[in-house]
Amino acid sequence: MAAAALWWALKAARQVLPSPCPRQVRSYHVDWRMLRDVKRRNVAYEHADERLRINAIRKNSILPKELQEVADKEISALPRDSCPVRIRNRCVLTSRPRGVKRRWRLSRIVFRHFADHAQMSGVQRAMW
Amino acid sequence: STSSVVSTNKDKSPASKDSTTEGASKRHEDGAETPKQKLLDIIGDMKVEVSYRKKLQQLKTSENKNQAVNKLAGTDSEASVPQGTTEDIQRGKPLNPELVKAASAVASSLPLNKKQTESELLAQLRRHEETTDKQKKGGTINIRNVISEMAVKRQSPAQRGARISGRISLELDEDGQRIRPERWSSQSFDSRSLKVGKRLNIFTKASTEPEHALKTVSSPTIWDLEFAKEIAAITAQPPRNGFEEMIQWTKEGILWEFPIDNEVGMEDDAEFHEHIFLEKHLEGFPREGPIRHFMELVICGLSKNPYLSVKQKVEHIEWFQKYFEEKKELLQEI
Repeated sequence: MAAAALWWALKAARQVLPSPCPRQVRSYHVDWRMLRDVKRRNVAYEHADERLRINAIRKNSILPKELQEVADKEISALPRDSCPVRIRNRCVLTSRPRGVKRRWRLSRIVFRHFADHAQMSGVQRAMW
Repeated sequence: STSSVVSTNKDKSPASKDSTTEGASKRHEDGAETPKQKLLDIIGDMKVEVSYRKKLQQLKTSENKNQAVNKLAGTDSEASVPQGTTEDIQRGKPLNPELVKAASAVASSLPLNKKQTESELLAQLRRHEETTDKQKKGGTINIRNVISEMAVKRQSPAQRGARISGRISLELDEDGQRIRPERWSSQSFDSRSLKVGKRLNIFTKASTEPEHALKTVSSPTIWDLEFAKEIAAITAQPPRNGFEEMIQWTKEGILWEFPIDNEVGMEDDAEFHEHIFLEKHLEGFPREGPIRHFMELVICGLSKNPYLSVKQKVEHIEWFQKYFEEKKELLQEI
């Protein structure tokens, strides 16, 4: 009896307070390009160590050249998305490829929007 | 007002001190100066005694005289204690006349009840003088009195025996209690006995604990978990103020913990020598040749790297070992 009463009380309380979440919640990537960029980052992370080691063998003046040629072939056999050069630092909110500040990972337009609404900590309009 | 106070004192106390108080009252009446200036004058007039010994001697002689006088006066004044504050000047030991004058001037300068302040000041002065006199005279006498009053505590021979034997015997059973003087220990600690109270199980392994642990692990059903989750969700009220919000963020991991710990999440238990001296991992490689040269360079670079853990460095070396073993046939051809 007491347990049932408690259950009803909890249910009622839950309806009153629907998970308070003042922050923005996005459960999707903004566009397909952003999704592809995310995939590339993951693959690059997986193969990062291997690429580092094989490159260490390749960019070498001590080891014999035959070994280095073999290493060249090996590294080209890795998936194309595993190289970090293909990663583009897009804006996190709008997926804009250009005009992105690295510190905030935001495009210049979004940055300006938030800074003007005083939602960027420590950012102020410059005046001198 | 000051003059009125002093005049009332003069009326009520026809003692030897009247001459000085009269002088004071005359001075007060004569001068059209403010009380503060009078106070300053008095303080300026008071001479600083350079030779303290002479003053002590003077005080002693004056004390001896005054004590005889006060004994007679004291018996008289005790009866007249509740009469009034104005009689304080005459009661007990007579004070330094200059101090009395200074006290009256100070009392007059203060805005509060002047009679009361003056009497309080004089009482304080008297107490001060009493304490200084006591200290000068009776150091040893007081100590003797104190010691004579102290009583020597006597031990019963049975208790003494228990204590000595308790110290000697070191046979301990697993509970940390002593075997031999057990009966004596129960006697010696009359107010507190050793066997009373909940056992802490510090020295014995409590056999009941693992049973309890097993029970709690196997029992929670899915419904219990759901219930617990619901309770947690309900009790997590939205933060009432900024502090609670920051607490919530810290729990979630959004906010760092202050004072900032630079090594959060970095549990590198390895010593520095494990990072730097990596040559022991090079045992699988040939001793001479370009490969060894190459691996030594690799090790040099890894030893200088502070960002990798020892495990990662060892993984690098092992990968190279595997790689070169696979390429052995190729290397043989060269």
